[in-house]
Amino acid sequence: MQKKLVSVLALSVAMSAFLAACGNNDNNTSSPSASESPSASASPSPSASASAPASESASPEKVENFTVSLRHIQITDAQKFRKAILDDVVKKTEGEVPGLKIELDGVQDSVNRFTKLPAEMAAGNPPIIFDVFGGAGDTQKYASAGRMLDLTPILEDLGLKDKFLSGVLDPFSVDGKVYGLPIGGNTEGIFYNTEIFQQNGLNPPTTWDDLIKAADTLKAKKITPFATGNKAAWVGNMLVNTLIGRVAGEGTSSGFITGETKWNSPDVVAAYQIISDWESKGYFTKGELGKEYADMLNDFVAGKAGMMFDGSWRSSAFKDDAVGKAIAGKVAFVPLPAVPNGKANQTSVNANYGEGYGFAADLNENELKAVKAFIKNMYSDEMQLRGLLEDGVLPSMKLSDDSVAKVTDPIVKQVLDVLKNAGASFPHFDSIVQSKVNAETENQLQKLIAGKAKPQEVGDAIQKVQEAENAAAK
Amino acid sequence: MAVTLRKSIPHIVMIAYVVIILLPFVFILFSSLKVNNTEIATHPFGLPKTWEFGNYKEAWVKAKINVYFFNSLYLAFSAAVVGVLLSAATSYAITRMKFRRTSNGIYQFVLIGMLIPGNVLFIAQYLLVQKLGILDTHWSLFLPYTAGALPFSILLISAFMKSIPQELEEAAVVDGMNVFRMFFQIILPLTVPALVTVFIVNFLGNWNEYLLSFFFISKDALRTLPSGMVQFRDAFQTNYALVCTGIVFSVVPVLILYAFLQRKIIEGLTAGSLKG
Amino acid sequence: MKTTLKNPYVYLLFVVPTIVLYFLFFIYPMLTSVYYGFTNWNGLNTKDYIGFDNFVNAFKDADFRNSILNNVYILLFSCGVQVPLIVVFSLLISQMKRFQGFYKTTVFMPSILSTSVIGILWGYIYDPDVGLINNILKTFGMDPIYFLADTKWALVSILITNAWQWMGFYIVLILAAILSIPRDIDEAAMIDGATGVQRAWYLTVPLIKPIINVVIMLSIAGALRVVDIVLVMTGGGPVGSTEVMASYMVNKAIKFGDYGYGTALSIIIFIFALILTALYQILIVRRQEKVEY
Repeated sequence: MQKKLVSVLALSVAMSAFLAACGNNDNNTSSPSASESPSASASPSPSASASAPASESASPEKVENFTVSLRHIQITDAQKFRKAILDDVVKKTEGEVPGLKIELDGVQDSVNRFTKLPAEMAAGNPPIIFDVFGGAGDTQKYASAGRMLDLTPILEDLGLKDKFLSGVLDPFSVDGKVYGLPIGGNTEGIFYNTEIFQQNGLNPPTTWDDLIKAADTLKAKKITPFATGNKAAWVGNMLVNTLIGRVAGEGTSSGFITGETKWNSPDVVAAYQIISDWESKGYFTKGELGKEYADMLNDFVAGKAGMMFDGSWRSSAFKDDAVGKAIAGKVAFVPLPAVPNGKANQTSVNANYGEGYGFAADLNENELKAVKAFIKNMYSDEMQLRGLLEDGVLPSMKLSDDSVAKVTDPIVKQVLDVLKNAGASFPHFDSIVQSKVNAETENQLQKLIAGKAKPQEVGDAIQKVQEAENAAAK
Repeated sequence: MAVTLRKSIPHIVMIAYVVIILLPFVFILFSSLKVNNTEIATHPFGLPKTWEFGNYKEAWVKAKINVYFFNSLYLAFSAAVVGVLLSAATSYAITRMKFRRTSNGIYQFVLIGMLIPGNVLFIAQYLLVQKLGILDTHWSLFLPYTAGALPFSILLISAFMKSIPQELEEAAVVDGMNVFRMFFQIILPLTVPALVTVFIVNFLGNWNEYLLSFFFISKDALRTLPSGMVQFRDAFQTNYALVCTGIVFSVVPVLILYAFLQRKIIEGLTAGSLKG
Repeated sequence: MKTTLKNPYVYLLFVVPTIVLYFLFFIYPMLTSVYYGFTNWNGLNTKDYIGFDNFVNAFKDADFRNSILNNVYILLFSCGVQVPLIVVFSLLISQMKRFQGFYKTTVFMPSILSTSVIGILWGYIYDPDVGLINNILKTFGMDPIYFLADTKWALVSILITNAWQWMGFYIVLILAAILSIPRDIDEAAMIDGATGVQRAWYLTVPLIKPIINVVIMLSIAGALRVVDIVLVMTGGGPVGSTEVMASYMVNKAIKFGDYGYGTALSIIIFIFALILTALYQILIVRRQEKVEY
């Protein structure tokens, strides 16, 4: 049985080697090789095949064509700004590295994160450059298994290490070595429809009382207070995360994996209690467990809801030429107001630098060159600023105040203000805890929403998985 | 009066059933021709106010339904054809050639496959195609589709071939025919009814297959209709008219085929289930 | 003759490609499933043999137990509700002289369509805002029902869709059996003054019992195989209310990389299928045959 598989494998390896050889031949024909020149073919060389490799080694400046695969997730219309930046970086990198051709492969975000990349990592053949998330469930897991390239020497070479904001490389690091680079950041907060708020005589939701009053008033007027869509519960987890940070303290999320903090501690349960209360008061979209993330934006844009709790990346949806153009100019962004009895600094906000690029381990010299050029071009002041201006993505690297002052988009300005005025920041737990724990938080949140579990039960259930995963990690 | 009433009750019941079957299609068809969600929501049952055939053009190109459609078509067709040919060749060898005991062993061995429910092997097949390095290529569907059809096809075709009288071949041997010509010129033509049945069952099975095609393929350009449609729905969630158009595109070809071949299809599928 | 049909090379040529493919995609996966099922392989790290841990954990796993229960509901629904309806409809159609062919082709039609497309289609029928059913409810002034988002409704909605797709298939199967019964028995009974219902119950149903058994068998197998429709319509949600064994297995393996645990689940599904089939054969089919003889 094993033998048969081995022979099939051998066959396929032979096939791919053959194909690769063909590919090389194609490439070689584009470069001037000795065997093609008339003098070589005219001269009675003993063997053509023997002369070819000799001439190759003889000419050190010869350009060898090669391709580098790049997996990105910018495939929808809403991500066109980000894709344009990527395209420019690719073009520039190809221009700088002779013979390089970068092959783009666009895949939907969750397919890449939960289906493709795990499978490729298991098989040991990820693309050379790929979109990846930080944290124990992604980069750190793959890096520990030896699948990702250690970027520390490249960063030192390029002098980039100190250019990143403090702490943003941590979710991409294992034992002090860096394996991935965050492309940008975001914070999660409240988007609200200023028109609906004015029409109903409501104050902006900047204090807890105003927020609750707004929600109650909207509810009475048959407008959904908060649009949401929890068919995939990461959407609702955004609010859960910020509530945990505010109620239980900024360090809560990072304490879960060390055992310093617990999901079933009274503080964390109190955060879940707020969600539970809001659910029973009907603050969220009806039938939210059947609604997608996109539905949340649609309900908000259609004016069916007054607020939504979402990531700052959504700001680019409210430009004049984007999907949310119907309410362009009528949207404002505020952080979650101070939560009564919260333990944390109540000006603290969530800040994520969770997504970026990683690179395959075991690259040859050419591929390494390409990766280095890609990093240099992608992680530059210019591209970071473009990301901020064109896409509303917060820079993951230090930008000068002059650059930041170029921002004109009102919502992006508000987002920047929120971060500037924040007394502290805390990451999203999904970039810290193990993937099974994260899955359990989504599972339990849905149970809470459906009224199938009480806040304490939710905390207990997640803590159980957390402890099992912590034990397995040791 | 009472008699006519009693006679018409079965028809009323059946017409209600037929309406339940057809209504969803009508709803989707009308929706696909409407301007936007508001029109679907406010006039769900009426004819569209203006007939928006533009949706069809948009779905065909923008949603890449054309790509999914041809991927499905050629994969379903080629896997079904290869499956039928391989099964026919094997059935021929084990029913007509003179290796009795080996043949019997092979037959029993292949039939074990019919005991295994399809999705049980899903993970192992996923790991297999990954190991073979064909994940995310059409090979990762073509090979399992072809292989998956073998047990049932061999069962059906062998049964059919066994019933062909020996005398035909004896005469052919006297004429000096070799075994290939005998297979292609005598046995295969006689087996055509069974081959057609097997082909239809396999073709429809491949055309409709979802699980493998969704998880083994992630390049958009390689998706087949069932998995591409799900992807399409997820991407265009809220444009109901456009998604309904996509549904029409994927349903109509099958319905046309059904209109022409309904007897053969019904026969094939029911026979398929009974043997399985 | 002897030599032509005894050429071992030709024989091998005809048999080997099939055997290789079959071995590679049936037997080899079956063997590796058994192997992986006893390991904790997560796709990345080394595989460790962990004995029966996966199987023990599976039965401790509340979510998996819940998915078994959902498979049981599907099984009960298809055998307890669908099969009687199927028999009634088949009997009805068989009595008709006009439009028989039309009814037959129409009810059969959904079963040739892709389950994933049907899942998408019915997703719109159930949609709370624009869906067909909620539009009807709205005209009667009723509140919308969140069919696929409500834990009380989701499984029922899927069951109805599944029935909509497959009932016609079984109706045609039984119909063929009814129509192959010789007419003269029926006519004799009619002359004796038996009503249509009496004839159907006392004459036709006993005669088509074997095929009804087949339909029940197929329904059992089908109930264990349900997965496409769940993945397309709800993905197992909301809150696991529509999760079935197969969808749970797929999610565990693909989404979380728990290949060891996932394959253990697939073996459990396989064993369930074997046990159910065997039980049914022993308890129902055998006994009936004895009575008949």
